[in-house]
Amino acid sequence: MIVQLVLSGLALGSMYALVALGYNITYATSQTVNFSQGQSVMVGAVVAYALYVGAGWPLVPSVLATLIALAVFGVLVERVAVRPFLRASSIAWLLATIALGIIAENVAMLVFGKDARAFPSSLAVKPWMVLGAGVYPHELLVPLVGIALMVLVELAFRRTLAGRALRAVAFSHDAARLMGIDVTRTISAAYALSSVLAGVAGILLAPLLNVSATMGTTIGLKAFAVAIIGGIESARGIVVAGILYGIAESIVAGYLGTGVREIIGFALVVLVLLARPWGLFGVPTPRRV
Amino acid sequence: MRHLKLLGLLILLPSVLVLQAATGWTQAKPPITVALVAAMSGGSALSGEAIKRGLTVAIDEINARGGLLGGRKVELVIRDEEGNPSKGVTAARDVIEREKAVAVFGGLHSPVGLAMLPVFHELKVPYVGTWAAATAITRNGRSPNFMFRVSANDDIVDHFLAKHVVEKLGKRKPGVILENTPWGASNQEGLTKWFGKLGAPPVGIEKFNWNDPDMSPQLLRLRNGGADALVMVANAPEGAQVVKSRAKIDWNVPMVSHWGISGGRFAELTGALSESVVFVQTYSFFGKQSEVGERVIAALKAKSGIKGPEDILAPVGTANAYDAMHLVALAVEKAGAADGAKIRDALENLGEYRGLIKTYRRPFTPEEHDALTEKDYILVTWRQGKIVPVSTK
Repeated sequence: MIVQLVLSGLALGSMYALVALGYNITYATSQTVNFSQGQSVMVGAVVAYALYVGAGWPLVPSVLATLIALAVFGVLVERVAVRPFLRASSIAWLLATIALGIIAENVAMLVFGKDARAFPSSLAVKPWMVLGAGVYPHELLVPLVGIALMVLVELAFRRTLAGRALRAVAFSHDAARLMGIDVTRTISAAYALSSVLAGVAGILLAPLLNVSATMGTTIGLKAFAVAIIGGIESARGIVVAGILYGIAESIVAGYLGTGVREIIGFALVVLVLLARPWGLFGVPTPRRV
Repeated sequence: MRHLKLLGLLILLPSVLVLQAATGWTQAKPPITVALVAAMSGGSALSGEAIKRGLTVAIDEINARGGLLGGRKVELVIRDEEGNPSKGVTAARDVIEREKAVAVFGGLHSPVGLAMLPVFHELKVPYVGTWAAATAITRNGRSPNFMFRVSANDDIVDHFLAKHVVEKLGKRKPGVILENTPWGASNQEGLTKWFGKLGAPPVGIEKFNWNDPDMSPQLLRLRNGGADALVMVANAPEGAQVVKSRAKIDWNVPMVSHWGISGGRFAELTGALSESVVFVQTYSFFGKQSEVGERVIAALKAKSGIKGPEDILAPVGTANAYDAMHLVALAVEKAGAADGAKIRDALENLGEYRGLIKTYRRPFTPEEHDALTEKDYILVTWRQGKIVPVSTK
């Protein structure tokens, strides 16, 4: 039973991590968070469904086009809901990103319809038996792709010019600007990237979850919890926390019942906020005055 | 030739005038307004749409026959309660006081039906439920009782399912999985009661929330508890996750379900796995149809652009609403007036009606305000994406 629960939690946990990594990227670069990340998950799944199932495109072009749409969505969120408020040093971006997410959800309901649809995957038809536990091959694919992607993002941050620019902006806007980095554009790129990561989670989860306009809301919320627990400034902490959160959720549900799952999960968030506001794996940053 | 045309015109002109006068005369009679207060948006929008279709088909038939009470047309007004009880209360008042509705049809959400109950008693207009199954909507202890229903009743459904599991399948250790909502709670009560009376209390009762992705933890708990049959109360998306998780943990036990899974695209979501679930319906548009059934399908094809029974989503809403509207029409005729209180009295004393779901001998009595009984429920399953009845005899 424990193997079953761990395997079940692994797929979802790695997706929490992927979405939460998006929170980390925008927070690091602009001290803002895109609260429509959950809806980016949905947009990824819905657009991929529309192209792959609806329009009958082959898989690879469908996914590529979806990723472009997600990047555009991310840029749009930043331009409309974050930049105007950031300039005015207002925290209205918080509400504005939530509002944009709700709009996205309702647009999806209008265009896509209200009922859930199935996203076919040949890897989610017959379960495999692994150590006496059943698992769809797709469920194993999800964490593999997720972790590979997270490693890739980390490498890109360290090795590529754009990645270094992003880190520079995260370190200090002024210093980055002095070095000739376009801070505004970099923040815009951070939003595009975070939206793409969430969207990838949506595409990967689509065959396991069903595609619907409301599929992303809970994932977005839990990913935020993960970001808090792992430490929103610590990418590695988020990855570990995401996977652990997914597995813990599954184990709690299996042994104690689903009734207490959310209670324990979000109680943990409050506890972490009280005891270590910088997250379990984060490092407290001295406040720069 | 020209003379002929002129002659034709001369004949045509007066007849057009007479026709206009005639229609003008019937239009002069005030219409009889009935209302639908249901969820027309949100996750259950499909059910509202289905109910509207059923009502519209029936109303068109009635108006084509010349309306009611000597030529008064029936008119439908619709209000969206969004699944929100307080919006339902406002909407019920609005349609009765402003639109002068003489009967109000209800939608899928039981909490809304329960919240509107006092309004109908205060304003003395009958409510006829077409979907919401909560037991207390019709069995409310009021006298006179203004709440009627042409739909399933949770308590009866739970007995129906429990009997099937224990007596037909011979299973004595049912595991129950249901949604964490008032609807789930209503069935938790019914299932616990009826399985208990049949000497086979559930070995476990598990819950899930809407949009929960993976149900294997709950199912593992039931399996470890020794369940030999699975009873489910869920809507289509979550029901699909339950079935997929069950296949994943490779647990093969008979599975029966309440009708929530018929309100969406369950068969599409689960593929071949859908064939492992039997569930309850009040009507099926598949298979051989009665004369009424043929007529309703033809009307739906003409109006809603559907191609066949597989396009009639949420079919019970349409079927229940169709019969409900005709029963209300009969009551209006019997009452002889478009008056809520008189229509209520008439509903309790209707004669035989050959409807879509069945031939109603006496649809309602002062004691029984549910027109459908356990005998009218059918067990169905999916075969290649189509709902087909399964034999329970």
